[in-house]
Amino acid sequence: MSAWLCAIDHKRVGILYMLSALLFFLAGGMEAMVMRAQLAAPNLKLVAPEVYNQMFTMHGTTMIFLVAMPVLTGFGVYLVPLMIGANEMALPRLGALSFWLQLFGGVLLYISFASGSAPDAGWFSYAPLSEKPFSGGAGLDYWALALLLITGGSIGSAVNLIVTIATSRAPGMTMRLVPLFVWSTFITSVMIIFALPALAASLVMLLSDRLLHARFFDPAQGGSPLLWQHYFWIFGHPEVYIVVLPAFGMISEIIPVFSRKTIFGYPLMATSSVAIAFLSYGVWAHHMFAVALGRNFLAVFAASSMLIAVPTGMKIFSWIATMWGGAIRFTTAMLFAVAFLLEFTIGGLSGVAFATVPVDWQMTDTYFVVAHIHYVLFGGTVFALFAGAYYWFPKISGRMLDESLGRWNFWLVVIGFNAAFFVQHFLGLLGMRRRVYTYPDLPWFGALNVISTIGAAILAFGILLFCANVLMSLYFGAPAGDDPWNAWTLEWAAASPPPLENFAEIPRVRSRRPLWDLKHPEAPDWTRA
Amino acid sequence: MTKRDQLGMTMFLIAEAVFFFLLILACAYFHALPRLYAPWGWILTALLLAGSVSIWRGWRWGAVALDAVFLVGLAGTPFAMLTAVLGLFVLAGVIALAVIPASGRRALSLYWYFFTAVWLVIFGVAGQV
Ligand code: HEM
Repeated sequence: MSAWLCAIDHKRVGILYMLSALLFFLAGGMEAMVMRAQLAAPNLKLVAPEVYNQMFTMHGTTMIFLVAMPVLTGFGVYLVPLMIGANEMALPRLGALSFWLQLFGGVLLYISFASGSAPDAGWFSYAPLSEKPFSGGAGLDYWALALLLITGGSIGSAVNLIVTIATSRAPGMTMRLVPLFVWSTFITSVMIIFALPALAASLVMLLSDRLLHARFFDPAQGGSPLLWQHYFWIFGHPEVYIVVLPAFGMISEIIPVFSRKTIFGYPLMATSSVAIAFLSYGVWAHHMFAVALGRNFLAVFAASSMLIAVPTGMKIFSWIATMWGGAIRFTTAMLFAVAFLLEFTIGGLSGVAFATVPVDWQMTDTYFVVAHIHYVLFGGTVFALFAGAYYWFPKISGRMLDESLGRWNFWLVVIGFNAAFFVQHFLGLLGMRRRVYTYPDLPWFGALNVISTIGAAILAFGILLFCANVLMSLYFGAPAGDDPWNAWTLEWAAASPPPLENFAEIPRVRSRRPLWDLKHPEAPDWTRA
Repeated sequence: MTKRDQLGMTMFLIAEAVFFFLLILACAYFHALPRLYAPWGWILTALLLAGSVSIWRGWRWGAVALDAVFLVGLAGTPFAMLTAVLGLFVLAGVIALAVIPASGRRALSLYWYFFTAVWLVIFGVAGQV
């Protein structure tokens, strides 16, 4: 036990990140189920309106800050040193400190439940609702303090990942040869360095308003609630890509291996990630189209929001081109990767629709937005995470996840997810508001909501099946061996699970598929270049 | 100082630069900048600059003492969020310098210079009492 509490080895720290994220995922999932139960039929009163407000606030905050960010960091911390042929992170103590900061932040957030006043102003806690006169309890203070800790932890882990990738690569591994997951983790970490301080600054100002009688966001005293919106979304939109880019990186590792082809357009994939990172800082105001910002302002942000679809689309085409003509193996990991392409594209398309200002005006704050968020974050990030879990679990644990349970897991998640969230597009178009604890019995509202709730229950069952698969496979899974997928990147050259010192001997890297080169000395990749 | 420490500290300070830029911008916009007593501000500035020179010369305890005096002096100025936040960072630096082994001190000197620079900006835009 103390070995885990004091761990600084990147593999243990990575696993701690993943486990804590899984626990918070279950907590956030339960909050989601409470909301879906409450929304199952019109005029239901299972939970009070105040409790519903707390549920969506805690659910959104948990899923973004305590699930999506830490789990991706966990994968990064675990895999990056292995993929670049390093034995350790560059700053191992900072790695451990960052994890504990993140975890304490999460615990502090949940202590607010025990204090009797969980935060209830939504995951982006707009001012002036989050100001003392409107949110008098301590919930928002917990929320802001918890997010400050999490911000510190995230910046710490980003610094560590950047330094590791910049300084610890195997001999010969230039940035043109690193795996795409490493590229995306690198870019994400740089984005964290520039984006998270905007959140920290907003939180410090919010706490000053709430605790020290400052007046940044209080219009009654000359402050501006819009300042919160600007600062929050300067962080918030890059944040969407912070939790999506590493997922893209995972997909870029998985699809080639199971298509038995190298990735189509590696330089395009890397540069499109850089382009996404740049553009993501110029689109924040598309979250504020409903605010009177002025026509020119709206036009610029609408255009930049549409533009960001271009590099994202390039990635989708690259993945499709990689699969095209390949000898595809539909393992569970690959099934999730393919489903990711479809679900994420749906989320991306509804996003492009939103970039059109009048469409946004019509749809803002309706269930169309809820559908969009979930297609991007669940259909994108979480589907990629499932793919990644099936792909790398054998490396992490030394055992295979059960494939037949995996298929059940996959189909339940796909069916449940689409049933839960696709219908919400229609609910939004029909005018159902988001963040309402109940709704009147209007045509279609009841029917579509009950489908959504049934879908959520199926989805929850699929997720529990995944947890069962992990637990059972840890004890009874087939031994994985070092390289069960016949893959190409360096992590598969280490033992499964890797020993404390990852590599007895660090190979010289000369191509993007170093393990292929090792296995095929007669036809190494670098001779073809 | 190893290349890793240096790069790590630089990344951290970039994040801090964004953080303070946004805070100072908001404070300037809402006229919430700190107000300092005229001679007091210069004395505080001199203390921080002397602290930076000390750390550059490797006089660890000199830097700790000068910055500790700076903090006491800062506590005597009218309260402002911006100076309070800066004070917390300086306090963290003082504690770190007092306890950190020699190998880590060079990286910490970057931290020191950075917060001296942030103070100079704040002092430059602050109002006078
Ligand atoms: C496990 C399946 C999930 C279900 C059934 C679910 C359900 C819900 C529901 C019912 C809402 C509240 C809608 C409203 O009243 O406006 C919501 C909001 C939200 N969800 Fe989920 N969700 C799930 C997973 C996720 C995941 C994985 C993420 C992110 C990684 C996520 C992020 C969010 C966000 C950001 C909000 C907005 C919260 C707010 O309005 O402040 N959800 N979800």
